[in-house]
Amino acid sequence: MARSGSTFRRIFWLSAAVVVLGAGVAATFYVLYLDHLVTKQFEGRRWTLPAQVYAAPLELYAGLALGGTDLEHELQRLQYRRVDKLEHPGTYRLQGARIDVALRPARFADESRPASILSIVANDKAIESVRDSDGKDVPIVRLEPLLIGSIFPIHGEDRIVVTPQDVPPLLPAALTTVEDRKFYTHHGVDPTGIARALWQNVRAGQIEQGGSTLTQQLVKSYFLDPRRTLSRKIREAIMAVSLDAHFSKADLMNAYINEIFLGQDGDRAIHGFGLASQFYFGKPLSELDLSEVALLVAIVRGPTYYDPRRHADRVRLRRDMVLKLMAERGIVKQEDALAAEKRPLGVTTRASGAYYPAYLDFVRRTLRRDYHDQDLTEAGLRIYTSLDPRAQDNAERALERELARLDRLKKSPDSKLEGAVVVTAPQNGDVIAIVGSRNVGYDGFNRALDARRAMGSLVKPFIYLTAFESGRYNAATVVQDAPVSIKLANGTYWKPENFTKQNYGPVPVVHALAESLNDATVAVGLDIGLPKITATLNRFGLDRQPAQVPSMLLGTIDVSPMEVAQLYNGLANGGFRTPLRAVRAVISVDGKPLKAFPLEVTPVASPEVVYEVDRMMEQVMEKGTGRGARSILPANLVVAGKSGTSSDYHDNWFAGFSGSHLAVVWVGYDDNLPTGFTGSSGALPVWARLMAGLGTTSWDAPMPESLAETWIDYGSGLRVDKNCADDNTVPIAVPVGTELPLKPSCAGNSIQSIVERAGEWIRDLMH
Amino acid sequence: MIRAMRCQILLSLLAAASLFSACSVVRSPESPAPQEPSATQTPPGPGTAQPQPAPPTETPPNPEPPRPPPKQFKLSPATNALVQQAHTQAHTGAFVPAANTLERALRIEPENPLLWIELGQIRLSENNPAQANSMGHKALALATGDPQAQASAWRLVAESLRALNRNDEAAEADKKANALSPR
Repeated sequence: MARSGSTFRRIFWLSAAVVVLGAGVAATFYVLYLDHLVTKQFEGRRWTLPAQVYAAPLELYAGLALGGTDLEHELQRLQYRRVDKLEHPGTYRLQGARIDVALRPARFADESRPASILSIVANDKAIESVRDSDGKDVPIVRLEPLLIGSIFPIHGEDRIVVTPQDVPPLLPAALTTVEDRKFYTHHGVDPTGIARALWQNVRAGQIEQGGSTLTQQLVKSYFLDPRRTLSRKIREAIMAVSLDAHFSKADLMNAYINEIFLGQDGDRAIHGFGLASQFYFGKPLSELDLSEVALLVAIVRGPTYYDPRRHADRVRLRRDMVLKLMAERGIVKQEDALAAEKRPLGVTTRASGAYYPAYLDFVRRTLRRDYHDQDLTEAGLRIYTSLDPRAQDNAERALERELARLDRLKKSPDSKLEGAVVVTAPQNGDVIAIVGSRNVGYDGFNRALDARRAMGSLVKPFIYLTAFESGRYNAATVVQDAPVSIKLANGTYWKPENFTKQNYGPVPVVHALAESLNDATVAVGLDIGLPKITATLNRFGLDRQPAQVPSMLLGTIDVSPMEVAQLYNGLANGGFRTPLRAVRAVISVDGKPLKAFPLEVTPVASPEVVYEVDRMMEQVMEKGTGRGARSILPANLVVAGKSGTSSDYHDNWFAGFSGSHLAVVWVGYDDNLPTGFTGSSGALPVWARLMAGLGTTSWDAPMPESLAETWIDYGSGLRVDKNCADDNTVPIAVPVGTELPLKPSCAGNSIQSIVERAGEWIRDLMH
Repeated sequence: MIRAMRCQILLSLLAAASLFSACSVVRSPESPAPQEPSATQTPPGPGTAQPQPAPPTETPPNPEPPRPPPKQFKLSPATNALVQQAHTQAHTGAFVPAANTLERALRIEPENPLLWIELGQIRLSENNPAQANSMGHKALALATGDPQAQASAWRLVAESLRALNRNDEAAEADKKANALSPR
């Protein structure tokens, strides 16, 4: 009996030993697996420095049309604080008409510049002088470029990576005090910390401290899993111990500071204290004071629950608790903590830190042609762009405002009417602003680049340009605006109509373009021939062959706003194709220039022909479909442009330029429903408002020497002179020597004036 | 006696008047109203809007196209400082930085032909005569009214064409330059 008992027992303990051993082996493998997993994550992210993207720096010089108030606004955009005494970089002081600025050290594509002091005198219209700290005149100086975003590896997560030098020492101290007191001594998990937290929370009656170490929080952040099961926690604990074994405390702290989730901005998740500092305070992390650091540390526990913009009271209580803890532990002096508790939260009202998703999208696409994703998102590249934040703000405001007004007009409060804007500097092809939707902060469908819509009447200037190149047409040539009927290849008839459904008979070309007459344009286009017109479009930058059908003459070519901008850029700069550029330079993490995008120009049309077309486009604005802009634009601003409305009002376009800017606006519905308004009522007001706000200059290209300006009657195309000029007279440019018949009543007037003079002479004789 | 003389005068006046008016109808196209004189210096940066030319009710039409008063393009202190910097950079062979500096200048005065000529010179130094040629033409188009600037532009075009082995065209360009502003 005892014998079988002991055998049983032996078997029992043997099998138990096997099970335990087996479990141990399995556990070991499991731990090794987790170890590998978390280490890979950590190293992957530690070397992941997203590319930083910068706007164009503002250049300051005597004569720049930037008034004192606007200058101050630009300094504030760069988060310069107004102070009474200049002590630190990042501040400015007002002394009457003079602004003294303590410039931060700056890195440009082509130089690094240390901190310095500048004195700028400006009146309400322009800068009068710029001087350095010795009082010497500075002919030109640029402010540091605005950081406009990063190209980050995991879509949606944005961060500004900070190195230990950028981190105020108070921050790690505050974090360990509040979140993980034994951070520097434990090995990843802290059992006493858990116990203490429990005790603290019970005492306070609420959750004040968490039991997780910073390392555990870091692991949790890597493997976002909302399930708070025990098995999860065990996994995280194992991985935390792993991390602690492999990496130094300094590395772990730095990783934490750059990783932890601290807020949500629409589609964009704010990770890391660097970006959080920008997002909540509009300042670099290194410039935060005690109360602000305490606030960010308070948010760590739950950025949604402790959102300082939504739950200010709750957040304030927690911030003050953080300050108290720091004072208790001797991290800061008691009186400093008390003073900090008195300060307001200091959070900016709207999410600050510039964020321009549509422009960033274009930058990403430009670079993806030359760089792999890994290079872009991990190598710490610095990307300098042409974005002009003032122009961008203007474009965004103009679109939002006018679309809201159109909604009100149509009485549809939650309308899905959408729009896109592209703004360029035509001479050098810089893309200075891109708006991809009316909800500007969202990184969604980028209509400026991806909305392909029929260009409609926007094609017409290119038809007339080609016609002028043939030598058989000029702005005064009389063309027939008569009903058109074309037999198509499939036997049916194409009968395009004017928008007004009327025909106007013989009209000069300038009139046909200004009023966007379809029938007259089709007649001219068919005379010149589709292949030549297509060649013109290709020369100006259209990179494909549109279907060679007559309706091409009315713009049944699908284009994006950016493509329109490329085409019209050539009209705005005197006939040169200049590739549109958003990226100016790419610099490596250690300052080496990696890629330049040099300015390139290619003549694609004679300056004469382009000038003639530009003068006609000026008449679009004076007499034609663009005249609605006049009431919005500054008086005396000379602009030129073209409206575009595709059939049935699906697409509203306006493309136009001044002396220093070209802007293309599209308005329409994503689902391609008819809008019910034309380019002149939909897109034109956006364009006009944008142009008015830019502080732009008049279009004043010099007239080529082989052209002459002349005046004709808008209706008949007959030449007019000073004796019979009236409201229906328009100026045009034609080649020198062009014979134009004079309007008969002008001749009559000459006889009249001669007879009058003769009469006077006779009267004198009689006396 | 005096009455008869007056009648004769009146008659000859009428004859002259009909002759004169008949001529004006068939005469070749009149010249346009004179243009507004252009600015003598391109203002730096976005400046004030310029007024449109007034309709031809004040000035009488001229028989031939009026020449606008000669311009002379200059560099502003800001762009001049940048051009000097670009020269220094180019002298050390740093052509890309020099070009970048000139592009900065062009952002301030995009329509100043002198800047396009400078950048074209850099393109020549970078062995890019095709772009230098294009920039010469760009400068030419902008330099209308300033014979010195036009001549400089033609010289850049000539140099570029020579580098492209288009020597006949280069000689033509040189001739044009000398006609405008003899060396």
